[in-house]
Amino acid sequence: MITHKIGIKFFFTGPATKPLAEYIPVFHGWIRRQALAGHLLIDVHDYSHVHHGPGILLVAHEANLSVDEAEGRRGLVYLRKQPARPPEILAAARQAVTLLGEPVEPTFEVFVNDRLAPVTAADLGTALGASLTPKPVDPRARPTFLATVSR
Amino acid sequence: MTWKEKLAGQIPPAWAEEIDIYETQLELRKLGKIDEKLFAETRLRRGAYGQRYDNGQRFDGFRTQQLRYPKAGLTKGPDTEWDAPGMQRIKIPFGGLNPTQLETLADVAEEYSDGILHITTRQDFQLHFVHIEDTPTIMRRLAAVGITTREACGNSVRNVTACPLSGVCRTEAFDVTPYAKALTFFLLGHPDTQDFGRKFKPAFSGCEDEACGLVHMHDFGAVAKIQDGRRGFKVFVGGGLGAVPYQAKVLAEFLPVEELLPTAQAIARVFARLGEKQNRARARIKFLVDKLGIEEFKRLVFAERQTLPPDPRWTQFPPIEEKPIQPPGSLPAEQPPGFPAWLATNVYRQRQSGYATVTVACPLGDITATQARQLADLVRRFSGDNVRTSVEQNLLIRWVSEQDLPALYAELQRIGLGEHGAGTILDMTACPGTDTCKLGIASSRGLARELRARLAGQFFTLDEAVKGLKIKMSGCFNSCGQHHLADIGFYGNSRTIGNHKVPHFQVLFGGQWTHNAGRYGLAIGSVPAKNIPAVVERVTGRYVNERQPGETFPAFINRLGKAEARRMIEDLMQVPPYEQDPTFYSDWGDPREFSMGDIGTGECAGEVVSALQFELSAAERLNFEAQLAHEAGQFAKADELAYGAMLQAAHGLVRELWLDVPHEPAVVVAEFKTRLAGLFPAAQAAYLYKRHEGAPAATAEAVHRLIEEAQLFIEGAHVCADKLQQQKAAARDAILKK
Repeated sequence: MITHKIGIKFFFTGPATKPLAEYIPVFHGWIRRQALAGHLLIDVHDYSHVHHGPGILLVAHEANLSVDEAEGRRGLVYLRKQPARPPEILAAARQAVTLLGEPVEPTFEVFVNDRLAPVTAADLGTALGASLTPKPVDPRARPTFLATVSR
Repeated sequence: MTWKEKLAGQIPPAWAEEIDIYETQLELRKLGKIDEKLFAETRLRRGAYGQRYDNGQRFDGFRTQQLRYPKAGLTKGPDTEWDAPGMQRIKIPFGGLNPTQLETLADVAEEYSDGILHITTRQDFQLHFVHIEDTPTIMRRLAAVGITTREACGNSVRNVTACPLSGVCRTEAFDVTPYAKALTFFLLGHPDTQDFGRKFKPAFSGCEDEACGLVHMHDFGAVAKIQDGRRGFKVFVGGGLGAVPYQAKVLAEFLPVEELLPTAQAIARVFARLGEKQNRARARIKFLVDKLGIEEFKRLVFAERQTLPPDPRWTQFPPIEEKPIQPPGSLPAEQPPGFPAWLATNVYRQRQSGYATVTVACPLGDITATQARQLADLVRRFSGDNVRTSVEQNLLIRWVSEQDLPALYAELQRIGLGEHGAGTILDMTACPGTDTCKLGIASSRGLARELRARLAGQFFTLDEAVKGLKIKMSGCFNSCGQHHLADIGFYGNSRTIGNHKVPHFQVLFGGQWTHNAGRYGLAIGSVPAKNIPAVVERVTGRYVNERQPGETFPAFINRLGKAEARRMIEDLMQVPPYEQDPTFYSDWGDPREFSMGDIGTGECAGEVVSALQFELSAAERLNFEAQLAHEAGQFAKADELAYGAMLQAAHGLVRELWLDVPHEPAVVVAEFKTRLAGLFPAAQAAYLYKRHEGAPAATAEAVHRLIEEAQLFIEGAHVCADKLQQQKAAARDAILKK
C-alpha cells in the first residue's frame, strides 16, 4: 500500500513578482469560508522571511498547504498528513490550486514525505494516474518525482 | 517497518524505555485511563507543548469558529483537543550540536512539522504544527542521534544554556561546556527535580562582564571564576524575567567545581520542599528566594547539602573535545563582494590563533530543513563537528580557519544564510507570539519582520551607535523574547478603543544585555503596534543627535529620565478612531481585526503534578500492563508487573518521607512498614506483604486475584498520598511562617 504522506507541488507560471504577503489574506479568507472541501482549515503562518522556504503556510488538519519557494521556484504545495488514497490527494491539490487561481505549469512535482516508505516511480505513478520520473535530489532529501498526468 | 524497529539498538536503552512508556501513556490517554491533567504534565515533560487554537476555537476576523477536529472530545490536557496541532520543543544542552544531529532535526521538521526548524531564546529547537501521535517517533529519531526532549517543558529543569563562545572566547575564565553538560545529565530525570511547582532554568557564563549566558535572569546561574589557581563558579540563584523580573542573588562568591552539582541538587531539594505549588504566578524560585531572603535561602541550601548522600557523578566532567577540520590560517586578501560587512558583524576571532567563530544569522530564528542539511555539509567541510545555537536565535559555526572565511561566506550566501548584521539592530529576537503561542497577545514576529524589513534597507546609512543596538520583543508580558534585556524592548498588550481592540506593545528602554543581563529596561508606555516603527525611528534619532561621547544607549536613557522618554513617544500612543484608520485595529502580518478571544490557557506553568502522583500513575500503568499480560496468558510476567506496581506505589509513598530511598524491594517494603504503618489502610498493605514474602502467583486465577489486590493497594496509596501531601504542606507553611 502506498503511503498517504505525499506532497504535490504545482509550479506557478511566470516570474514570482507578487509579494508573498498578498497570499496571507487569501488564506485567511479560505479559513473563514472553510473553502477547501474535506479539510479543516486551521491557521496561516508567514515564513516569507525564510530563503526558499514554505513562504505562506496554510495549516489544515488533513494537510499543509503553502505558497512555497523551495529551490527558488514558487508554487502551491499540498502535503498530505492524514490518510487518503493517492488520487484523492492529487484531486485535493488540484482543488486548492484552482481555488488559488494562479496559472500553473503542466508538469508538477511529487514527493514522498516518509523516509521509510518503499515507493517507486512506477507504483506511485500508477496510483496517481500520472507519469513520474525521478528527480535528482540530495540523497538525504525526500524521494521526489516530476509528474505529468497521463490520463 | 516502523522507526522503532529500524532504530532498535541505536537508542540508549534508558531513553528507549522512557519513550516506550510515553507511547503507552498516549494509548492509555486515548482509552481514558489517564487523567487529562496528569497526561498534560506527562507530555510537557517530554517537550510536547500546546499551541494556539488547540482549544478548538479561532477568531476568523468576524466570528469565533469552532474547529471540529475528528477526535472531538478526546483531549491531551484541560481544554486541549487531541488532534489540534502542537509544538515539540527539543533541548540542546549548551546549544551544542553536530552535523548528524542537524540532519536528523531537518528530517523530523520535514516529516512531522512544517519544514522549519525554529531556534528559541534558550538554545532549544521548536517544531510547530506537530500531531501528538507523531511525537514518540520524533523522540526516537532524535534519541538515536543523542538528543532528548525530556524535561524540555513542564515543571522541570529546562535546557541548561551556556555562552555559545565557551571554549573559544578571548575573555572567559575557562570553558564552561563540560560543567554545563555534566549538570544537564546529572539533573535530567533526577528524583530531586521531579517535584517542582514551576520550571527551573540554569545558565552558564565564562566571564562576568559580557552577555554570555545571561545568568542574572536565570533561576540558577554559574559564572566561571578562578580563585587561588582553582576552578570554580560564582553562583547565582533566583533571577527571572516573566511579568515580574528579578535579578538573581549571589548564592556563593566562589564554589569549587566539585561543589557545583551537589549545590544544585541541594537547591532543587529546597525548591521542591518549600516552593509554592498552588499559586502558579508565584511559584518560580525567585519568589521563594525573595520570601526567605537570600541569607536564609543560603542557610537552607548549605544545610541540605550536608545531608546529601555522596554521588560519584558530582566530580565527573567529561572533557569536550572539539577538533577543527582545517589548519589555522590567515584571512586572504581576495574577498568576495559583501564580505567585509559580514566579516564585521558575523565573525568572532577565537582565542585560538587562526580560527574564527561564524554566526549564521537566522531570520526570526528560522531555517528550513534544506538549509539545515546544507549547513551540516558546510560544518563538515569548514569546521568539523562544532555548531552551537545561541539565545539570539542564531547558529554558530566554530573553529573555522580564517583562510576559509571568504569561501564559507560565499557558500552561506548560496544557501541563503549569508546575511550580515548578526548581533546588530537587524538581528532582532522575537518569541513566537500570536503566531503559535496560546498566551500571545500581539504579533511579536510580525513586528520583528516589519522592523527588519525597514531597517535592512537603511542599515549602511545608520549611525554606528545605532547599528549596535539590540531590539527584542515578546508577544506578551511573559518575556520569552527577553525584552527586558534589550536597548529597545517591546511586549504585546491590548487596549480597547470604542468597541474595538487595538494591538499594542509596551515600550521598554535601556535594558542591559552585557554583564550577563546586568539591568532590566524601563517600561515607558504602551504604543499601538502600528506606531512601533516610528518609536524606533524617533528614539534612535534622538540618541544619535543627543548622546554624549561614548555614552551607551542605557546610559543615555538613564540621563534622559523616564518622564522625558515618555514625552518623546506620547503622541505615538494615540490611536485614531476606527472609522478614520482601521489598519490600527489589526496586527502586523495578520489582516484579521484584532481580538483577544484567541488567548488560551498557557502551558508554561505546566500542571501541578507531584512526583508522588507520577509514581502512582506509573503504578497504575504497570498494573494495566499486568492485565494485558494476563489476557495474553503470560502469567509470570503479569505477576511481576502487578507486584512491581505495588512496589512502585509504595516507593512513591516512602519517598515522601525519605528522599533517598532506593528501589530495592526489600528496602521499600521494610521502610513502608516502618514509616507508613499508621497512615496506610492495613488490609490493603497486607496485599503487598503477602506477595513480597510469598511465592509468585502462577495460575490464571491467582494472577487475576493479585492484579485485583494490586489495584486495591494503589487505591489505598492514593488515600495515603492525600494525607502525606497535607502533612507536607503544613510543614512547608510552618517553615515559611517562621
